[in-house]
Amino acid sequence: MQSNQKNSQPFKQRKSLASRKEEVIGIKAKFPTKIPVIVERYRREKYLPLLDKTKFLVPKDLSMMQFINIIRNRMNLSATQAFYLLVNNKSLASMSLTMAELYRDHKDEDGFLYMTYASQEMFG
Amino acid sequence: MTSLIRTTRCRHPPSRKQATSTLTYDTLRFADTPDFPETAEPVWVLGRKYSALTEKEQLLNDITSRLWFTYRRNFPAIGGTGPTSDTGWGCMLRCGQMIFAQALLCRHIGRDWRWDKQKSQGEYLNILTAFLDKKDSYYSIHQIAQMGVGEGKCIGQWYGPNTVAQVLRKLAVFDQWSSIAVHIAMDNTVVMDEIRRLCRAGTNESSEAGALCNGYTGVSDPSCSLWKPLVLLIPLRLGLSDINEAYIETLKHCFMVPQSLGVIGGRPNSAHYFIGYVGDELIYLDPHTTQLAVEPSDCCFVEDESFHCQHPPCRMHVSEIDPSIAVGFFCRSQEDFEDWCQQIKKLSLSGGALPMFEVVDQLPLHLSNPDVLNLTPDSSDADRLDRFFDSEDEEFEILSL
Repeated sequence: MQSNQKNSQPFKQRKSLASRKEEVIGIKAKFPTKIPVIVERYRREKYLPLLDKTKFLVPKDLSMMQFINIIRNRMNLSATQAFYLLVNNKSLASMSLTMAELYRDHKDEDGFLYMTYASQEMFG
Repeated sequence: MTSLIRTTRCRHPPSRKQATSTLTYDTLRFADTPDFPETAEPVWVLGRKYSALTEKEQLLNDITSRLWFTYRRNFPAIGGTGPTSDTGWGCMLRCGQMIFAQALLCRHIGRDWRWDKQKSQGEYLNILTAFLDKKDSYYSIHQIAQMGVGEGKCIGQWYGPNTVAQVLRKLAVFDQWSSIAVHIAMDNTVVMDEIRRLCRAGTNESSEAGALCNGYTGVSDPSCSLWKPLVLLIPLRLGLSDINEAYIETLKHCFMVPQSLGVIGGRPNSAHYFIGYVGDELIYLDPHTTQLAVEPSDCCFVEDESFHCQHPPCRMHVSEIDPSIAVGFFCRSQEDFEDWCQQIKKLSLSGGALPMFEVVDQLPLHLSNPDVLNLTPDSSDADRLDRFFDSEDEEFEILSL
């Protein structure tokens, strides 16, 4: 049941659009106050550990900062370690936004909100 | 002096003149450093605006005055038995030194100070000495590499922008001469209250702090006993493999605010110290040149020519920048800091540009409640999942407030 992320394929490629859509419709019917979020590790990330879950149901009022702190805690990261959650593989979200606001602006066509985590690159 | 220098990483298209001339040693030396472009577009360098057409001399003089730290060889072994050269691993450490040296220049002798080859003395020399390659300089490669062990980096390992920022913050504690507050804003958020608390910390023993300030300031600053000068570093990741184009205009804006210390970052694998931009090109100092280590010959003389980049600076297209960076600012006083906050907040975002970081007054109250950080799967919710998913499916983790 655990370590689904060890499956090397990203979530989107593991399932068809139709089945992802169906999944979101089902889960929203059961949990109308939660937002379905996919959190995956950047494929070239070398320093941060894998999370044992990919799929989260997150309260609408949770702020981005709370969410990041939950994940930082799960990984036992110190406050000074670099950790970034990029929405849709592209942008950093304002820490004061709620999950509902992020979802409104960035949800995928399948109904999930996608985030990728990474630390920083190193240079020699 | 420049004959000792091999520039290895500046990749500019050679100019027509250079392409057709005979390749002597001299033309090779300058082949990859063409002169500055003749352009009507403004050139921004660390918060100052220049015209490349009418102020080229002042522009180049400003850039040459920055402290340029490169790979060095033949320095005393790090830790007594470690490496005697940082070629191949020290480039981000050198970039960290460059951005911090710029902060110390601003702190002790001001942004307007200019290097004079004939007259290298006073506070300038004290600043340079703080970065010389020996174990007891405040910010030497020795100190940075050894302090990095606490950040999980072995000596000789590559650093990221955040790594070197964290190490410099720790080293600055020992530099009572500069008496600066170093804040590293994590999670792309600058919390003004945290900075105010940090800059006022320790200033209650104002007699001591005041004495230090009076003893050392080259630039008079009556407020410095109440407010430590601030070095603010903001490590960011502006994309995964490439910079998200929506950040490019805001990145350029960092070089326009008067408090700019530039940006440390690079291209993939190679660190650069970005000090400005013109059009769509970033201007940077490149540490990828191995020079011989310099030792002070006596207490008040340092052979300092190799610490200034005397050829026209390197440039690269802004879209080539690696998304992992740290942006730096120096705020001399509380007023300067409040002004910086205004500068950042008033930045108008047009054409889909995104802010790289956010400035907030204080952290929301709920974050002081540690319970929220330990949200566990809610069992009552989990029961409702029952057998909705078949056995091949992946479970959701349910978070509840």
